[in-house]
Amino acid sequence: MNDNNMELRGLIDTTEARVNITWGGQNGDLLETVAYDASDRMVRQWITEAVRHGSVPGIALDGHADFSEFVIDRFAATMTRPYNLIQVRPKTPFG
Amino acid sequence: MKHITLVGAGALGSHVALLLRNVDARLKLVDFDRVEQTNVRSQFHSRKSVGKSKVQSLQQSLQFLFGLTVDGVPHRLVSGNAKEVLTGSDLVIDALDNVASRELVATVAHALEIPCLHGALAPDGMFGRVLWDGQFAPDAEPGVGAATCEDGEHLPFIGIVASYMAHAARVFISENVKIGFAVHPRGASPI
Repeated sequence: MNDNNMELRGLIDTTEARVNITWGGQNGDLLETVAYDASDRMVRQWITEAVRHGSVPGIALDGHADFSEFVIDRFAATMTRPYNLIQVRPKTPFG
Repeated sequence: MKHITLVGAGALGSHVALLLRNVDARLKLVDFDRVEQTNVRSQFHSRKSVGKSKVQSLQQSLQFLFGLTVDGVPHRLVSGNAKEVLTGSDLVIDALDNVASRELVATVAHALEIPCLHGALAPDGMFGRVLWDGQFAPDAEPGVGAATCEDGEHLPFIGIVASYMAHAARVFISENVKIGFAVHPRGASPI
């Protein structure tokens, strides 16, 4: 959480995070929040299982989903996005 | 009059320039590269511009189409000139495609206390990032032979990401508010 958003403390659970996934051009959130400080390895494991089982709304079941080359970004809550966000995304090297 | 410096006039940068043509700010374009035939498929450069500098190409297009005069720096941004090129900007936009240059832009903009908006694309047209300042960390370039954005197959998505960049820049210039996005082919999420 940003220092200048101290008023957010107490309004949200700062230890939890939504997990947003982009896979094959589809996008969705894990149904359950996870610990914001969960390791990248654990996040990768959870989302791989979820996508392979088709339990991510917005992302079609894909039994071969592989996130080993994906990037995991973490964004602390802000006033305009009052929840922590863990984003799992493909690499974006171009501009 | 505010000043926007747009670094990188390729797939994203050329379209951002097009979409910022009526923003209430003076635009400066920075890119050392020249237009190649393949660029025409995915960038806002015409066949007549092949061989010209990308900066000159955009300057001429914006002048011809809209009567808009923009400043241009047709040189590579390096540590020796970055401070001079970026000084005086109210906003820097990074639309580059390599880690070293992106880090240079971010470092110098931060040192000069200039807000920096970054845009980045996945090569398969499946994801884009529009992020501010320290939110952004550049991804390394893929190896030789990997997919690129050059074939133009994903031109509409390039345009979508460029639109979010231009929108974020416009909101910042007019409202002094920083908004960022994660962009995918089915929509975008605020960051």
